Amino acid sequence: MKKVLFEYINMFAYTITGLIFGLSFFLLFINFYHMQELNETVDLKSYNETNKASVQSKVETIRNNINVYNQSTYGGSLNVYGLNNAKSKLEQCLNVIESDEMMKYFELDNVGIEDSYNFVIDFKNNILNECLVMQIKSMFNTDTISLLPNFNLVKSYVDIDVDNLLDSIGYVQNNIENSDHYYFSTDTNKNNFFDLTEDSYSYVMNDYQSALDLLVEISEWYRSIVIGG
Amino acid sequence: MKKIFNMLFYVLKFILLIAAFGLTLFVLIRMNIRLEKNMASIIQELIPFAILLLLFIVNLIFKQDGVNKNLFYNLTSCLVFVTIVLVALRAILDTNMVLNGKYGYGIDFNFFANFVAYIKIMLYGLSIANILFMIRERKRTIEKSKEA
Repeated sequence: MKKVLFEYINMFAYTITGLIFGLSFFLLFINFYHMQELNETVDLKSYNETNKASVQSKVETIRNNINVYNQSTYGGSLNVYGLNNAKSKLEQCLNVIESDEMMKYFELDNVGIEDSYNFVIDFKNNILNECLVMQIKSMFNTDTISLLPNFNLVKSYVDIDVDNLLDSIGYVQNNIENSDHYYFSTDTNKNNFFDLTEDSYSYVMNDYQSALDLLVEISEWYRSIVIGG
Repeated sequence: MKKIFNMLFYVLKFILLIAAFGLTLFVLIRMNIRLEKNMASIIQELIPFAILLLLFIVNLIFKQDGVNKNLFYNLTSCLVFVTIVLVALRAILDTNMVLNGKYGYGIDFNFFANFVAYIKIMLYGLSIANILFMIRERKRTIEKSKEA
């Protein structure tokens, strides 16, 4: 009886050791796998070149549109303080867009998860906060701008667009931050994870282009009121 | 061959236990500094390490062959400690994990915290298995004394 009991204890000890062996083996190799996955890069050279050309063309359009106004030669009836203010805010936005901090992403040939994350953060800080919120949104809250024609139409359009961009970028940031957790993942998580770098990067790039489209629209409005007024 | 491997894993498990303990302690201290928590709360997390170390010392002093010469147990112990070391090192060094550098602490506390529960399960499991293997050893000693 005692012998059987000791045999059972022995068997139980081996079972526990076996389970611990399985668990540690699983955790060890899933860590190697996760490490390898996070180290993967995506070739986005041609994608970046196309987008760089598009950004440069939009920047050029904005610059041409705001340069139609010159305070010393302007003979129209519109409020010059408002026109000066709008021009200065759009110029500051152009400086942000053309800064090295933002342009460096177009030079990347291979993009990793860290690059995608940094792109999200820089886009959020520079384009959304520094340009769209601090310059454009605040511009439409000034009294001098409110005197310009079609102010109400453009303001509501800008508000909706900026809010949409601010909402969408938070999702991408959270998604990348969650990639640090990797255990017992479902098939859906895995599928999302494999494309995370590329998906996040292109998602931010699309938002970037949308932000520039918004600036082009504002500059078109600016050009039309300067020429018309 | 089995003896050589057993000896290798036997020695390694002590070294790896110290390494795993040291790295875990380092990450937990940094984590508590960040959260401004009382350092006493770390003790709770380190109890399984202390229990296992105590059991290893008991095995060593009383020459309990049921544990000391158990290749599977020694191999599993090494695997567990290697896993803990790897998780701690990844939390400190793997900069591809974006939260590693986000708050400027240089350690991905979130990632490490996910594994704390598994670390405890593995260490307590090894302790229980160690005690059970000891009982087996005790039985043999009794039988030997009876035969004598």
